[in-house]
Amino acid sequence: MKVQHDIVIVGAGLAGMRAAIAAAEKSDELSIAIIAKTYPIRCHSVCAEGGTAAVLREGDSFDLHAWDTVKGSDFLADQDAVEFFVRECPKEILRLDNWGCPWSRNEDGTIAQRPFGGHSFNRATFAKDRTGFHEVHTLYERMLMYDNIEIYPEYFITNLVIEENAVQGVSAIELKTGNLVFFEAKAVIFATGGAGRLYGFTTYSHQVTGDGLAIAYRNGIPLKDMEFFQFHPTGLIPSGILMTEGCRGEGGYLLNKDGERFMKRYAPEKMEIAPRDVVSRAMWTEIIEGRGLEGEYGPYIALDLRHLGEEKIEERLPLIRDAAIKFAGVDPVEEPIPVKPVAHYTMGGIHTNVRCETTVKGFFAAGECACVSIHGANRLGSNSTAECLVFGRVAGEVAAEYAMNAKQGRISEEFMKEEESRIYDGLLGKNGDESPYEIKKELNETMDKNMWIFREENGLKEAVKKIQELKERYKNVEINDKTRGFNTDLMMAIEIGYMLDLAEVVAIGALKRQESRGAHYRLDYPKRDDENWLKHTLAYYTPEGPRFDYIPVTITKWEPVERKY
Amino acid sequence: MAEFKIRRFDGKKSFWQTFEVPAKKGMTVLEGLYYIKENLDSSLAFRASCRMGICGSCAMKINGKPRLACETQILFLGDKITVEPLDNFRVIKDLITDFEGFFAKHKAVKPYLIREDVKYEEPKELLQTPEELNEYYVFTLCIKCGACYSVCPAAATLDGYLGPAAMAAAYRFCADSRDKGNEERYEIASSSNGVWRCHLAMECSEVCPKNVEPAKAVQMLRRKTAFSILKSILRW
Amino acid sequence: MGVSGWFKLGGRSIFSWAFTFQRLTGIVLLIYLCMHLTYLTTLLDKTGATYESMIALTVSKQFLIFDVLLVLCGVFHGINGFRIILHEFGIAYEYRKPLLAVALVLALAVWLYASYVMYYLTGG
Repeated sequence: MKVQHDIVIVGAGLAGMRAAIAAAEKSDELSIAIIAKTYPIRCHSVCAEGGTAAVLREGDSFDLHAWDTVKGSDFLADQDAVEFFVRECPKEILRLDNWGCPWSRNEDGTIAQRPFGGHSFNRATFAKDRTGFHEVHTLYERMLMYDNIEIYPEYFITNLVIEENAVQGVSAIELKTGNLVFFEAKAVIFATGGAGRLYGFTTYSHQVTGDGLAIAYRNGIPLKDMEFFQFHPTGLIPSGILMTEGCRGEGGYLLNKDGERFMKRYAPEKMEIAPRDVVSRAMWTEIIEGRGLEGEYGPYIALDLRHLGEEKIEERLPLIRDAAIKFAGVDPVEEPIPVKPVAHYTMGGIHTNVRCETTVKGFFAAGECACVSIHGANRLGSNSTAECLVFGRVAGEVAAEYAMNAKQGRISEEFMKEEESRIYDGLLGKNGDESPYEIKKELNETMDKNMWIFREENGLKEAVKKIQELKERYKNVEINDKTRGFNTDLMMAIEIGYMLDLAEVVAIGALKRQESRGAHYRLDYPKRDDENWLKHTLAYYTPEGPRFDYIPVTITKWEPVERKY
Repeated sequence: MAEFKIRRFDGKKSFWQTFEVPAKKGMTVLEGLYYIKENLDSSLAFRASCRMGICGSCAMKINGKPRLACETQILFLGDKITVEPLDNFRVIKDLITDFEGFFAKHKAVKPYLIREDVKYEEPKELLQTPEELNEYYVFTLCIKCGACYSVCPAAATLDGYLGPAAMAAAYRFCADSRDKGNEERYEIASSSNGVWRCHLAMECSEVCPKNVEPAKAVQMLRRKTAFSILKSILRW
Repeated sequence: MGVSGWFKLGGRSIFSWAFTFQRLTGIVLLIYLCMHLTYLTTLLDKTGATYESMIALTVSKQFLIFDVLLVLCGVFHGINGFRIILHEFGIAYEYRKPLLAVALVLALAVWLYASYVMYYLTGG
């Protein structure tokens, strides 16, 4: 089946929905489709908890926010993009306010803000500890007002069509029926999120498998800085559910087994609210050196909120309390929460410029799946939801402008037949002796072991070898469920194929980068090396594996200096 | 070991199937379903995403009650688990039900802030005190999981009935001090599929995994709607 | 689920029980009302003999059990209905559990007293 729209947005999280609204505001003549493999409000953005950074109040400034972001990024962020980004954040907060977001408030009725890791001003705007949840619902509800936005929920994207370096459309499986649907479009925006499920111990939703990243990559669009993967300091044990940075922002302590606030040895000034890479490394060092607490799931660090008192916890961190009770059997009012660092954010992504444009005409990327880059080697807490809002808007507006002057994309009958046979004969109809789930399990184990917070050459080489072996084995998978309607077996098998490609890029990229910067820490190269490595990694797809290239970082105001907290 | 008895549906016929799942302390029903999918029968279909009770994907009937599979621990329920799709929804496959109508009803109540005086290009900060926020905050917590709708006896006999979640969404905006669009929503609420169809079984509030109290929202909306109608009659 | 959804009680709370019995008693009362009106409109003889004979038949020990059940329906439906009306005005939602308990106790008390009176009237 064929469907035509002016703009097709893939992914219905914060960035995707923001892009849809921005495009619809630009013109009510444009027909906009937003397709996603879940219903819009089931996206992973709802899991964002702590806040959204924005300069709103006296005493704060754009330069300060930009400096914090650049310093947090370990100077790998493009500073022109950061400067643009920080100026756009406040408007997005106010727009959400105008659209009904239930921001937490000060007594005088103004929007409240809280301290957050790596920020030198209290600028994390929040709605209790469900910030992402409320932002997603606000955007979704706002999106319902526009008649020219059509939502296609539960469509699983399979490919991107590019001809003569211009985008033509996308193909997707309508899950309900199992039919392939081809969307012809003038412009396509990817807002498909990160690749967090590469890891086993992760805060990510089950659906975050890097589909968009892998599809763009396979179609020749470079991925940038994929070796930088953020580890959030506080993942609940054993599930990995996120315990927001807001816990520490509101004054929570991290304690080792001696009851010591060990952060004083690693970041004497910022203590617990140092940037995430610093805190995660500190926690992991404590664990490796035997100062973690012992639990039935191995060593952990205690996140102590008891001194905040029940009233403040209920007022500011109700979701955290609820989750700790439900998933770990621990009431933070009475006991410290068992946590350890957990895979949390993909700094890298589809290579875009500050206008969200990629190397292909009419193809845009925004949100976590894109890499502008404003996060560089390490993202600051509360900058991700802000990024989704700001660059979602940019992508929507730029795509709308582009679509108003572009000709309709065309998908050939040939391609449709090929795609149909690739999926239904090549994958679903095929016999083999490998289980995709076994491959995924082994991939997760490898990532958790060799691509964790501390990396070194041998481990990375082992990981690359393992991933390549898994890729070979993947060619031989068999999908047991041969039916068409709502075949989640097929969907997961395709996702695992995407993940293998991405894991390879992450592993080889990490192996090549012989320095420690931000979230990428090499035990064999523990120092930052600005002379050789102050540059972005670009990974290009080739059938034999990724080809790497490097491009310089844009520096405007801030020369790299030593990073101390 | 826990025994999972699952009501399955392959598009044509419905049947029960039993699986043995090695249940550990702390393991959730969702993890049990993933265990089955990854090790025993990969054709089992269910929805899941965030696994932390905030995305609303995995509501299903577990031991007779609608719950979120991700936050229901197996051993709290014993070693026999019965899993069925939600009632009042059409089953598509196994535990996956059709939510199209449910979301269409949510859209029908105009669940967005209605205000003429805000500009897209120049947004402004609207003041709202913490007390005003608390007036409606609890109703913003709805994750649209469908648990309330699946137990609603009014929805059981009337397909078009807006249902608890949609009306809670309507009330959430009516009670928001920033909103100016109440009258439009009263009109929808007082239609033949609206508030008057609620007969107060209050089961929606009992099963809501987020304690949103949709039953209360429906009653408050009913009161507001009734007063609005009364006012318009008296003025006339 | 259709109408069976009204009478589904497995895994449900006390409020669903109240709802189900409200429906059930409503249906019983409606049927009774129909029968009652149908019978009254057929009374054509001016002497009242048919009416007397009906009373003689129904106000008796054998019929007491039906009367008692009918009164139960009426009392429960009325008192529970009053509770529902209160809630429907958005009143006392937070006290829904105690209010339901009060309504049930009240209904039980009224029903027992009415049953005792009827028992007494039919000659002890």
